[in-house]
Amino acid sequence: MSVRTKQPETKQVDHISFVKPQVFDVTPDVKLLWMKEVPNDTVRLDLFFDAGITRGNKSIPAIVHSLLLSGTNELSSVEIHEQIDALGGFLDTDISFETAVVSIYCLREHIRPISNIVANAIQNLAFRETEVEDVLRSMRQQFAVNQQKVKYVAQQQFRKHLFASNPDYSTISEESDYDEGNVLAYKKYWRQHYLEGLTRITLVGDLEVDEVDALIDLFGKWAVDGKVHHAGGFKFQAERINFPKNDAVQCAIRMGRFLFPKSHPDYIDFQVLNTIFGDYFGSRLMSNIREDKGYTYGIGSGVMDLNQTGYFVIVTEVGKEVLDLTLNEIKLEMERLQNELVAGDELDLVKNYMLGQLLKSADGPYAMLDMYNSVDMYGLTLAFYDEAIQKIKHITPERIRELAKQYLNVEDFLIITAG
Amino acid sequence: MIAFNRFKLENGLTVLHHFDPTTPMAVVNTLYDVGARDESEEKTGFAHLFEHLMFGGSVNIPDFDAPLQRAGGESNAFTSNDITNYYDVLPVQNIETALWLESDRMLSLAFTPKSLEVQRNVVIEEFKQRYLNQPYGDVWLELRPLAYKKHPYKWATIGKNIQHIEEATMDDVKAFFKAHYHPANAILCVAGNISLEETKRLVEKWYGDIPASLKPERILPKEPAQTEYRELTIERKVPNDAFYYSFKMPERKSFEYYVTDIISDALGREKSSRLYSKLKKELKLVTSINAYITGSLDEGLLIIDGKLSNGVSFEELDEALWPLLEDIKKERMSEAETSKLLNKIRTVKEFQEQGLLNRAMNLCLYELLGDANGVNEENNLYQSITADHIKTVANQLFTKENTSLLRVKSIKE
Repeated sequence: MSVRTKQPETKQVDHISFVKPQVFDVTPDVKLLWMKEVPNDTVRLDLFFDAGITRGNKSIPAIVHSLLLSGTNELSSVEIHEQIDALGGFLDTDISFETAVVSIYCLREHIRPISNIVANAIQNLAFRETEVEDVLRSMRQQFAVNQQKVKYVAQQQFRKHLFASNPDYSTISEESDYDEGNVLAYKKYWRQHYLEGLTRITLVGDLEVDEVDALIDLFGKWAVDGKVHHAGGFKFQAERINFPKNDAVQCAIRMGRFLFPKSHPDYIDFQVLNTIFGDYFGSRLMSNIREDKGYTYGIGSGVMDLNQTGYFVIVTEVGKEVLDLTLNEIKLEMERLQNELVAGDELDLVKNYMLGQLLKSADGPYAMLDMYNSVDMYGLTLAFYDEAIQKIKHITPERIRELAKQYLNVEDFLIITAG
Repeated sequence: MIAFNRFKLENGLTVLHHFDPTTPMAVVNTLYDVGARDESEEKTGFAHLFEHLMFGGSVNIPDFDAPLQRAGGESNAFTSNDITNYYDVLPVQNIETALWLESDRMLSLAFTPKSLEVQRNVVIEEFKQRYLNQPYGDVWLELRPLAYKKHPYKWATIGKNIQHIEEATMDDVKAFFKAHYHPANAILCVAGNISLEETKRLVEKWYGDIPASLKPERILPKEPAQTEYRELTIERKVPNDAFYYSFKMPERKSFEYYVTDIISDALGREKSSRLYSKLKKELKLVTSINAYITGSLDEGLLIIDGKLSNGVSFEELDEALWPLLEDIKKERMSEAETSKLLNKIRTVKEFQEQGLLNRAMNLCLYELLGDANGVNEENNLYQSITADHIKTVANQLFTKENTSLLRVKSIKE
């Protein structure tokens, strides 16, 4: 039985094949990325727009985003969805800080007709009064539900205070945003950020080239004119602010600080530090605060990328009675990384783990396209990942400690708690 | 088409092998035929608590996760009312590490008091985070005992209440392991760029010497046929009134299960569905509405849930909802509508088959249902559904006596 106490031999991932999609120029500033090698009939088409939540106030970006498929003068929202459903298609929409995305999932025989339906719906969006009312009613209701979630309150307040210096980024939703529709403002926003706001198209699917050309013809007319600019140079005050909710049984914590954009020379090394600290199941935060103390169901950290910068954030929900103990343990874990060298064993484990995850992230056409897109969006190339492999393999405990001293000082952090 | 091989070890372990040479990753998926339905009513939440303990070290290996991470992989698990499923995803060259880890925790756990104490706390925080600290978070804790009177589906996977988790003892843990965690009660799937021969060699090496136990006989209290309409109103500090209509539906293995799934899609899956277009878009009675099935192995539930628009009463909704359910009972569904619903199923199936992990999990689940190849027959089963099937099953589902209605009444802070 003694054989069972010893781990079988393992090999570190030493090679990953990164596949570059085919790149088509829709205009000099807007690309279509296409991954053709798909072993089945599935297709995914994503349309990216310069229409993130920071592009307008009074929740207008989110409201217009929700209204995109709400009907034309000829077709109601139900009729549009009926047509897409009849072709077995699925739509997905997503909105983040700096981008809004509309995605189509379907079988390849249906991509042309579904694309036509979506193009027509967005191009001829009529902002019908009943549809606007319906969307506002649903959003107001969702807003009320969210206000009862400590997680949501902490997340919103964190945004508000972290981006304090820039109102486009720091303004959070208010209930009055949904009171009555301002159709004029919605229309203006839709024209500017959708009909002239397409920033890229990504496509996965075993199609013919002329079908891809047809998609470019169909959606290319929405391409933005020139390069899109995003804000940077945000300032915030490092402080601790609590938002009480008396009947909550848990408190949500969001704490973080600004870092740097994805192109910064410390980016990859910092990802190693982040992984050790809070970004995998065996991380310092999870091992201590969940697996040793049992204060939480989960705790983690991560780097959020923005166009001109990035920020680091720690996220958890903990029992109300252990809030201060948890904050103290987070601080101790930061200090440990600043004062002690990471043991070779732990660092080796994290290196292997990160390389394994990188291999997984490049597995299959869908994953690979997302991976390519997530560097190309920031003006980087696949060389980023080759460099990442080398940096992960060769990073030293001293370098980790140096980064922790530079970036993990608790006095530099904004700390928001709700509950 | 998901191709697979099946073999069995002498100790009773069922092994499925799925070869995929196109991916550098491998999956080791282990399904244990035990869920919350196998708990005693005095000790609910145990199958799920136990799932947490499975990561607290096994008899020869003090820590489950670290060796897997060292091999570039990661792992997780979930517990439902029916099953407990564990999976490991890692680079295929290191697949032996996953088999080593999984086989050792099938052999025996470390049973350390510290692990039990910590995981009790973690699960209590999970209980709070998911069920108590969310608006509408506790509805399933109320709806299950309304819909089920005898069958153990009357409690949620997390457990009836926090006390049951707080009171779990080491003796409970050991007894649960002995009864449910052994080769004859498990289905293992090894998937990736690994040959059948190599799979056999490695599985035999690591699992071959695990002692056999008898598969526990499952004798669950049978849920008596529901003969009366049930309703319950609870008051909560939530922003809007919410409703949860539940209807008993046929078990997972029956053909009617698939028909019920299609009926729920017709009613409330998409933005062109019947309830969505009528009750939300046309009559504006609700701000959201959905219809779906619980997917349970035994007799499950079809649920219609949603939130009322401000100023709309539960009675107004009820009066508008039932005629729509009567429609689907009386009128033959049009060809266009059935074909729409079946087209959506085709797309979903095609996307599901993309992922290696999905394929491995589905093979295990279908093996539990009787034959892993069922995963390849599922789409044909759906495509064989006709308007007549839909009408017949809708008539069985949508009667007052088959309904349990939970209302959540909003009260101010």
